[in-house]
Amino acid sequence: MATTSAPAGAKRVPGRAAWSRPRGGAVGVGVVRYLVLIAFLVVFLLPFLWIWSSAFKTSIEIARDPFALPSALRWENLQRAWTVGRFDRYIWNSVIYCTAIVAGVVALSCLAGYALALLPLPRRNAILVLFLLGLMVPFQSVMIPLYYLLRDIHLLETYWAFIVPGIALRLPFGIFLMRGFFRGLPPELADAARLDGANEWAVFRQVMLPLATPGLATLVVFQFMFTWNQFLMPLVFVQRDELRPVSLGTMFFFGRYTADRGMIAAGVTIAMLPVVLLYLVLQRRFIEGITAGALKT
Amino acid sequence: MADIVLGTTARRGGARRHWARYRAGYLFVLPAFLLYAVFMIYPLVQSIYLSFTDWNGVEATKNFVGLANYRRLFGDALLRVSLGHTLIWVVVGTIGPLVIGLLLAVLLWRRPRGFTLFRTAFFMPQVLSSVVIAIVWGWIYNPVFGILNRGLDSVGLDGLSRGWLGDPSLALYAVLVAAIWAETGFVFVVFLAGLQNVSKDLLEAATVDGANAWQRFRNVTVPQLANVVNVVTALLLIGGFSVFDVVFAMTQGGPANATEVIATYTYKEAFTQNRIGYAATLSLVITVISLVASVAFIRLRERGES
Repeated sequence: MATTSAPAGAKRVPGRAAWSRPRGGAVGVGVVRYLVLIAFLVVFLLPFLWIWSSAFKTSIEIARDPFALPSALRWENLQRAWTVGRFDRYIWNSVIYCTAIVAGVVALSCLAGYALALLPLPRRNAILVLFLLGLMVPFQSVMIPLYYLLRDIHLLETYWAFIVPGIALRLPFGIFLMRGFFRGLPPELADAARLDGANEWAVFRQVMLPLATPGLATLVVFQFMFTWNQFLMPLVFVQRDELRPVSLGTMFFFGRYTADRGMIAAGVTIAMLPVVLLYLVLQRRFIEGITAGALKT
Repeated sequence: MADIVLGTTARRGGARRHWARYRAGYLFVLPAFLLYAVFMIYPLVQSIYLSFTDWNGVEATKNFVGLANYRRLFGDALLRVSLGHTLIWVVVGTIGPLVIGLLLAVLLWRRPRGFTLFRTAFFMPQVLSSVVIAIVWGWIYNPVFGILNRGLDSVGLDGLSRGWLGDPSLALYAVLVAAIWAETGFVFVVFLAGLQNVSKDLLEAATVDGANAWQRFRNVTVPQLANVVNVVTALLLIGGFSVFDVVFAMTQGGPANATEVIATYTYKEAFTQNRIGYAATLSLVITVISLVASVAFIRLRERGES
């Protein structure tokens, strides 16, 4: 770069040089790039905009011109979906499920992930393989006996029918994620605290866990999104409508009011709003969480 | 080092020393392990047991029928159909997000103007539940007011308009398109993260050596992404073999089993036909396929890392 005999384009910022050498071509590439990007932007966003605008339309308006904006901001659809369509109940149920399951998964995964990463433990590999098994098999592998197990211990038709297996089956993922984060911490810190007389609980709670906060936040976001959207498990274990989470409630709501398109659009909007808003606010956490979940477990 | 020394003293000191040394580890792992053992390992073993019975879920006794359920797998026409659909699903549903996700990640690699807007939009479907995806796309495909047919009509392609989900030859692909729409955002962000680790020096060296854009992509970028590609492919494959949510919410396997996949078939055998024994056998087919795919993936990744 520093030599005087460098080609003309080489004085530019290094990162740029490789891409903008043939000037005319670069402009063409830029235009094509944006055309492709904007085309995909439309494909990914249009369904959202269509549903959200339909939530303010009457069923007749929806059928007349799907691309038109609503003629007026009608809130009735949303109101009816909330009360008549029972979304008040479904959302509340989902809040209960998500709070309990996220808390359970995070607490148990932190403890076990920490021990499997940093504490002396006999047969550590055997335990790891057992948890790895849970990461590899799908829910269907245990779905049928689990249904009868929950029935026999009288948890079916209660909130616990989703909460308990909802926590248990997500432990492998949480444990491997947290173990990865704890392994990245310097163990000398724990040793120093032990020399100062701290017991193992204090070492974990006051020294190591605070350092794993980024991992914790990742797990919370990931697990929240997973539980909010979980479908098959509540479909099988939760049959009473009063107990249904919003993912499942939406499907039965759709079945009940198929012809009332305005209300359907409103219900779907309500169902997706909490998680979409959370995504827009915590976007970086979501994306980092998903990426870490894919690459670090 | 310390580990080894302490280990031997613990063994010499017997159970008490063992407990003193490992107490913290045991107590930390125990809650997770108990819950996991009761609600995951036990049902998993139970699945194998049920597959040797003809239980219907109601009777108190479970009749042992030996390998009858397993023999039945081979003559089951609907299983063959479901497996065929699952295979199509896995292939198309993996390649689709992979290609589109990589394309979008490469286009946004250098963070051009509007980067945040594009990234936000491309990832957004990923946060939706499959029921929401199913309803939204069911509307898009609706023959009466769906935007797909309206769009085709407005550009003069009305000949192509149809009830997409009602046509047995198209329904599976229609559901696949919805799934790809939802899944691409995930692949895209993982590739975007992977691209941050691709060496710009190597790319520039290749440019100086006269490599064109495609050659640089093919021979410099892609090999450095190999690990990320493996991970993403494996996750899509493993998820694909047990796909249930979006298919069930959109078509319930219909019309006329045109979108039946192995997971929807298993669900119906278990919870609408009450053939628990046979359904357990079917669920083991999914289990074995997933296990084989996962183990193959782990081997592949270990080879890639060493």
